[in-house]
Amino acid sequence: MTSADKIILLVEDNPDDAKLTLRAFKQSNIANPVVVARDGIEALDFLFARGGYSERAGKPLPTLIVLDLKLPRLDGLGVLKAIRADARTNLVPVVILTSSKEEQDLISGYSLGANSYVRKPVDFAEFLEAAKQLGIYWLMMNLSAPERKAE
Amino acid sequence: MRIANKERLATAIVLTAVGVIALAVWSTYAKVEDARRQRRDTAEIARALTSLRLVSFEYALNRHERALAQFSAISKRLDGMLAASRFQGPEQQEILARLRSRQAKAAQIFDALAAAFPREASNRADTELSRNFETQLLSRLSILEQDNLGEVFRLADLTTEQSNAAQRRLLVVILSGLALIALIKITVSWLIRRDVLIPVARLQQAAQQVAAGNWGFEFGGGGADEIGQLTHDLGSMTRSLRDSIGQIQRSNQELAVLNHELEAFSYSVSHDLRGPLRSMDGFSLALLEDYGDRLDDEGRDFLRRIRAASQRMGHLIDDLLGLSRVTRAELRIVPVNISAIARELAGSLSQRKNGHELRWLIQENLEVRADKELMRIALQNLLDNAWKFTSKTPDAVIRIGARERDGRQVCFVADNGAGFDMAYADKLFGAFQRLHHADEFPGTGIGLAIVQRIVARHGGTIWAESKVGGGATFFFTLGESKNDERGQDNPAG
Repeated sequence: MTSADKIILLVEDNPDDAKLTLRAFKQSNIANPVVVARDGIEALDFLFARGGYSERAGKPLPTLIVLDLKLPRLDGLGVLKAIRADARTNLVPVVILTSSKEEQDLISGYSLGANSYVRKPVDFAEFLEAAKQLGIYWLMMNLSAPERKAE
Repeated sequence: MRIANKERLATAIVLTAVGVIALAVWSTYAKVEDARRQRRDTAEIARALTSLRLVSFEYALNRHERALAQFSAISKRLDGMLAASRFQGPEQQEILARLRSRQAKAAQIFDALAAAFPREASNRADTELSRNFETQLLSRLSILEQDNLGEVFRLADLTTEQSNAAQRRLLVVILSGLALIALIKITVSWLIRRDVLIPVARLQQAAQQVAAGNWGFEFGGGGADEIGQLTHDLGSMTRSLRDSIGQIQRSNQELAVLNHELEAFSYSVSHDLRGPLRSMDGFSLALLEDYGDRLDDEGRDFLRRIRAASQRMGHLIDDLLGLSRVTRAELRIVPVNISAIARELAGSLSQRKNGHELRWLIQENLEVRADKELMRIALQNLLDNAWKFTSKTPDAVIRIGARERDGRQVCFVADNGAGFDMAYADKLFGAFQRLHHADEFPGTGIGLAIVQRIVARHGGTIWAESKVGGGATFFFTLGESKNDERGQDNPAG
């Protein structure tokens, strides 16, 4: 499997943040294709090949999901719950990327099965550093769980 | 009935009882005295009768005229005694009547004897007839006197009996009086128990219930007496307190709702205000990186200023959220080793990239009772401050310690840095208050507000002493606050 098959799903409603995150990935030499979902429902549609993503049936799941918490329609914690509740997706690493550093969000995130929790800093240089670390850990170092084919 | 009235009534009953007992004792005692007097009289009568008998015998034997005179004297005295009778009983009266009549007969006989008495010595040898008559009279007199003596003994028995009875009565009266007093005492005790002690115990239990927080406890209806009134008053007091507490609880609920809204607002601020800042910073940097060569120095400077401002605002928002978190955090008071926290913080401050030469003097084993997390935040801010304001001081020293003052532990963080003008000391702990220009010493002006809020949440006080160029010392106490206590010395010199 080449890095081109290892999709990153970025769930982010703010187009500025999405653009900046993509830029940070690029500057961190993360060459994986990134799919941007703009709300929680769209993210789940992509994962489970529903709605506008029905043509994705049978295609590999993303290698990493980067999830914002505050999202329209279904929020990040709801998405996380759905991902962890489904046998197809419950082993996909999920990194929460949010501007909140409320203790409650951290606790809920980890207790619902998030693999990592990264706060979006205002300073882009810091964000770049965080993105680099994320890429190194979750895309290069970490061995992902064996793929389960979507039914 | 009111207890005061009951008490008055009880006093009246006791006093009446004592009066009645005293009267009874007195009148019984008078009877005893009376009986004693009657016995004395009886003895007198007996003595007189015995004398009469003796005189009669003497006369019968010797026929002295002197005996006649003696007889009449004694007889008169006896008559007087019998007449002035002080015997009350009907039997005594009858005996007395019989005594009187016999005595009268005896007197007649004696008069007859006296009349028959031989006036002259020549007539000494008198006729047998008169002699016989005389003997006859004497024997009749003797029988009468004997009877009378018998009657007097009977009288003596009766009066003794009467006296004994009177004495027994006295005893009975005294014993009954004592029994009556004991009965009254028992009744009063029972009433006190029923009307005072038991209701007071009930009140006490009720008060304990309420004290334990059982505000719904009903005191029940009290009687008409003072304790009933007290019970009633306590009941209304508890009800009005309950109402007040209910209101307070409602206010608290409203406050909790408001607080929740505030939290939601904070959350929003955290999320939504930081987003645009990220964009400003991120895209300014992108502009610098991707198109920087097409801008001149001034253009690039503008972009850097935009980034700096975005980041400053990011810090401001973070600090504000920190302040609100400090206010909301739940306190978990445990023993906290300030020395250890200070050493750890000092270590990380000394490792900062743009650090400066600095000596840390941290007192060993400094312990306070506080919330560990909040204490760390407070010390972080105080040490940050000291570190920041000594950045331009050669031989910079920061001291952390504590001293006793008026039996209280006063902790301090002292530096020999830039210091501040004490004229602005009152602005020190307000949010966004800064006593230095940002280009001199950077900061948001919220750090000390956070420290003050933490100290206040521990019920303590914080104050500072400084002079421009002479360093600053921040003192704080934990535990209940003391009014405006200000130290006089500055440990950092």
